[in-house]
Amino acid sequence: MEMDNTTFGLTMLICGMGGTLLTLWIMSLVMTVLGRLFPEKAEPKKEG
Amino acid sequence: MSDEVLAPMPGKITKILVKPGDDVLEDEEVLVLEAMKMDNPIFAPSNGKVKEIRVKEGEEVDVDHVLLVIE
Amino acid sequence: MLEAILNGLGGLVAGFQALALDWRSIIMLVIGGILLYLGIKKDCEPLLLVPIGFGCILVNVPLSDLMAKEGFLRVIYDAGVDTELFPLLIFIGIGAMTDFGPVLAQPSTFLLGAAGQFGIFLTLLMALFFGFTKLEAVSIGIIGACDGPTAIYVTSKYAPHLLGAVSVAAYSYMALVPVIQPPIMRAMTTQAERATVMKYKARPVSKTTKILFPLVITILGGLIAPKGLPLLGSLMLGNLMRESGVVSRLTKASENEIANVVTLFLGLCIGATMSGAAFLKPQTLIVLGLGFVAICLDTVCGILFAKGMRVLSGGKINPLIGAAGISAFPMAARVVQREGIKYNKKSYLLMHAMGANAGGQVGSVIAAAVMLSVLAGMGIIS
Repeated sequence: MEMDNTTFGLTMLICGMGGTLLTLWIMSLVMTVLGRLFPEKAEPKKEG
Repeated sequence: MSDEVLAPMPGKITKILVKPGDDVLEDEEVLVLEAMKMDNPIFAPSNGKVKEIRVKEGEEVDVDHVLLVIE
Repeated sequence: MLEAILNGLGGLVAGFQALALDWRSIIMLVIGGILLYLGIKKDCEPLLLVPIGFGCILVNVPLSDLMAKEGFLRVIYDAGVDTELFPLLIFIGIGAMTDFGPVLAQPSTFLLGAAGQFGIFLTLLMALFFGFTKLEAVSIGIIGACDGPTAIYVTSKYAPHLLGAVSVAAYSYMALVPVIQPPIMRAMTTQAERATVMKYKARPVSKTTKILFPLVITILGGLIAPKGLPLLGSLMLGNLMRESGVVSRLTKASENEIANVVTLFLGLCIGATMSGAAFLKPQTLIVLGLGFVAICLDTVCGILFAKGMRVLSGGKINPLIGAAGISAFPMAARVVQREGIKYNKKSYLLMHAMGANAGGQVGSVIAAAVMLSVLAGMGIIS
């Protein structure tokens, strides 16, 4: 099951870039949701 | 007409380069704000005289905190 | 008696004879010296270049057998690089040092961390074109992650013979980010774009969010790209320890003692892979060249992506922050801040750039993880 280099390269380009972008996009959505679910309290305690 | 200089981001005032009564020119460095371990110069927004300084060196400020007033 | 003395003396000059016969070792000794010079005199990543340079010198003294079976450096190499342990330990420290606050406050900048990885895949294509095998091309492309430990992790697993060249490229270009990026940033943007002021909208981030972030990212990332979980998991473990605030001793140990010890051993091992016979090949030069292209392409893609976001947002985004979507944290964000303020004294891009930069940190790990999982999916690696 040896594929030629062009197919391999283009597959990596599409799956790699697409996968990375998609993953980070999902993660940014998750972050937005997290921020909404657990908003900072109105009166934050100052640290340090 | 007075101009308030606001903190562009949260950080610590490390240096104040002007005194009340000083004349400043637009884009002159007036303060140094340390944020994310980097010293960031803060420049005067307009020509004028420093009316009041609302922070001390070493003070931690939040974003949009009034740093000084220029008139 | 005389013959015995002569033979004995012969043992003392054998090293010189071997060195005289082997021009490659001589060149590598010089290269090791140059790396030391750059680290010590030029202050260019000294923490890495000093051990790398000395490791390179050690391994190129003929007949010393440091990298032979059971040799001093071989033992460290087998224990930490061959097993991929060292880059992962360093990642715990990086996680402990990274503040994901700016990115949590403005999640959209996270996407820039993906665009900053596109150089990886474009470079991979180019490497294939230059005749490298598939797995070699993957290891060369990963220089574009602009992240030393990630590059070492991937390369030591799939193309160990390129480890010296790839890691030297990854670390030296990382150190050169403040030199490489600004001309590209200037060339790709207009004055109006560069002068765009971005207001920092402080959305306060709760502690709960900061603690849940590493956990959720680990599980989610692990499900999408299980092959990269060691990298992502160790990064996020460090971050969880930092944000939890209850294990400050462990956090401190990870970012100081452990990271320092591992950096020393890792540097020595990388130097040790630079024996003349392995390093002085035309392909090393090609690897160094492609690595440079990779980082330029990262910058280009990051800025283009930010320009796209600028259009979508109606001109509110300064495309310079796209350059920060690489992993060199926090250097790339600082470069953006310094450049931005040159064009508009009222422009403070630091917090936005930090967001993109933290995104780039995670992005480089995700890109590597995605790549490995795609490779596994295609049946090229097991």
